[in-house]
Amino acid sequence: MRPENYRPVKHPPSHEYELYFGPNHPGIEGNYAIRVRLKGDVIIEAIADGGYLHRGFEKIMEERLWIQNVALVPRICVPDPVPMEETYSRAVEMIGGLEVPVRAQWIRVMLLEMSRICAHLFTFGGNAATIGLYTNMFWGVTMRDYFLDLFEEVTGARIYHMFITPGGVRRDLPEGFLGRLGNLLDELERRMPEFEDLFFESAVVINRASGIGIISQEQALSWGVTGPNLRACDLPIDLRRDDPYLVYPELEFDVVTVEGGDALARMMARRGEVIQSIRILRQIIARLPSIGGAIRSPLPNPLAWNLPVGEAYARTESSKGETAFYIVSDGGPRPYRVHVRGPSSMHAVQVLEKLLIGARIEDIAQIMFSLDACPPEVDR
Amino acid sequence: MSIPAKLNDVLHEMPGIKVRMMNERRVRVDLSPDTLPALLEILKGRLGYCHLSAISCVDWVQTDQFELVYHVWSHMLKTMVSAHIFISRQPGQFISVYDIHAPAGFFERDIHEMFGVHFEGAPNLNKFILTSWGGPPPMLKSFNTREYVEKTFDWVQYSPDWLKDIEAKGGGID
Amino acid sequence: MSDKLPVIEDQPEICRSVDAGERSVWTRVMNRFADHCRARSLFVLHYCTGCGAIELPPTITSRFDMERVGVSPMVTPRQADILLITGYLSIKTLKRVILSYEQMQSPKYVIGFGSCTINGGMYWNSYATVKRLDQYIPADLFIAGCMPRPEAVQQVLLKLMEDIDAGKANGWQDYYNNYDRYLGNQQALFGESWHTPTDVIAEAKHYGYLADGTMGRHTDLLLKRADYALDRVPEDYPERGKNERRLP
Repeated sequence: MRPENYRPVKHPPSHEYELYFGPNHPGIEGNYAIRVRLKGDVIIEAIADGGYLHRGFEKIMEERLWIQNVALVPRICVPDPVPMEETYSRAVEMIGGLEVPVRAQWIRVMLLEMSRICAHLFTFGGNAATIGLYTNMFWGVTMRDYFLDLFEEVTGARIYHMFITPGGVRRDLPEGFLGRLGNLLDELERRMPEFEDLFFESAVVINRASGIGIISQEQALSWGVTGPNLRACDLPIDLRRDDPYLVYPELEFDVVTVEGGDALARMMARRGEVIQSIRILRQIIARLPSIGGAIRSPLPNPLAWNLPVGEAYARTESSKGETAFYIVSDGGPRPYRVHVRGPSSMHAVQVLEKLLIGARIEDIAQIMFSLDACPPEVDR
Repeated sequence: MSIPAKLNDVLHEMPGIKVRMMNERRVRVDLSPDTLPALLEILKGRLGYCHLSAISCVDWVQTDQFELVYHVWSHMLKTMVSAHIFISRQPGQFISVYDIHAPAGFFERDIHEMFGVHFEGAPNLNKFILTSWGGPPPMLKSFNTREYVEKTFDWVQYSPDWLKDIEAKGGGID
Repeated sequence: MSDKLPVIEDQPEICRSVDAGERSVWTRVMNRFADHCRARSLFVLHYCTGCGAIELPPTITSRFDMERVGVSPMVTPRQADILLITGYLSIKTLKRVILSYEQMQSPKYVIGFGSCTINGGMYWNSYATVKRLDQYIPADLFIAGCMPRPEAVQQVLLKLMEDIDAGKANGWQDYYNNYDRYLGNQQALFGESWHTPTDVIAEAKHYGYLADGTMGRHTDLLLKRADYALDRVPEDYPERGKNERRLP
């Protein structure tokens, strides 16, 4: 019952205001900004503003040799660099007609899956931090760091590996590496229930993340959503299955789908992917020792290496979605044109702008992190 | 390695089309710019080519043309069609396909920014990345990034003692 | 232009380099004590300007844990001491970095993280990234490498503490002393209309670091644009009158 003297409050027109969210803001992923127009604390318009991480990759790659670009490509996506190397190398192999030895293909799949686990653990941490669960961030980042140690053992670098080259990989695995990887996977599996308690089944997360940023199936398909975000709309679409590359057809894994399409479903899809990645890695640990042979097909002198005229479009399922490279060669020692299709170029711009409408201001960070948008690959 | 029959039928309805199988799951299609929107529409309507993976632009200086490549993927046929068209470089103008594929909005905006191609009917061609850039579209082949850098920025003069020794002997890092 | 300005004419004695030896012993002792305390509680501004930011979470969280030596992240520039430039700076980011830097309270310290802040690094021929960080804001320390490891980040933060304790990390004083040079470099990149909402000259005066290099040809251009500078604009200034400034 309203009291008799109740009068609805009329907000003055100035109640609508504009806010520049980011780039120097802990709630934004990376160096990115969103201009939001608000009514109270509800967003009525959002405009993504990127370009803070623009380095002109596509331009400077045209100025470098084919082999020099291997050092450049992982820098396009910072949290998940291996799919970039893999996609670039595969596109170059397509143009040059290079065969990748079987052992190198297995090693590449191993690195791709390790990178996927790293990126997802990092996202769990970041996502939890946006709703104030800092313990999860500490655990997720630390767990990821053990994987980085293994990366360092194989490739010599923690973040930017530059390990996958056209025609194979740089080096073979060190002695006893697969055993150490197995131990780490045991450790991760042992800790998964703790992550469940802390994050996936936490009342805070469920209350905050469910029901926000909902994408329906039709919207997901028409907006160009890819990767775990698409599978969180209960659509079993995965490039590893649909457009297989490397040795994925020989590996057993499920395409994880989750119903709902909201921020929580997207995190659950990632959780399922970590478990599937562990499953894939276990198969690799079992089978890799029996696969011998070279790890690299012989290349000509890489400093004087002209690829034949041609073009190729290579795609990889990264932890963020569909990563693709379109490369054109005019027969010279350098690429004529490289086009990078970062998966987040859809998620962080058009999808985010649409999802934010009607959301509340405190959910911006949650929605952005649940999409796992990666600004460096939007800006390139 | 052959093109799925359904796809082959649909593609050959287009006048003046050249079809080439690039690999198992990728078909390259060359056609005239006027028929491209119709092709995308038919592919989407009949064969489920609903995922626009990317639009790539290539600047061909010698022929004075822009090449636009539309990569569409069908979740049904599990095949990718890359439609290549060539447009003249001088007006640098084409029709937006935003009403067929929504992701085109981002790619067209990007191409407009990087190459200066104007897409008629695109929802938003405002600058996204290069908001504080006053120069020509940087991805054009005529723009020399190295020259621009030499002109705009300074370098740290790096001459440690060990390098001076080497340079005295006629060596160096240049 | 500058001969019209009463501020400069009225106080010519301020416009010279401040000699550290001139200060009283008491001030020096107090500063030494303040530096010693300052070095033990540092807050790093949470701004991921580039890819180097990916190595900060491991540095801050439980694996390497910088908090045990007294370094912690801080979300607002006004309460932060250290600005970590984590990697390459695109021109668009550099503007925001300068704004953030000027919002920070002195004393403030800048660390250039990775090779790209030193000389462009990997992106040396890119049209979009800035090649030398120290041309635009004063950097106290650099870490070479791409990308530097968390141990390197720890090392540089410990070195910075040492430097602060010894009174050697004074890039912020250099910014006040040579503001005209820094502003000139910024204007060369962003155009002559570039200005920030911070009155750096007044700050320099407040901290006592007004020197010959603080004002000059480039700061004169600010008078035309910056709102705070209207204070000093004479009544007969053609474009905007003095009264216009006092808006509610």
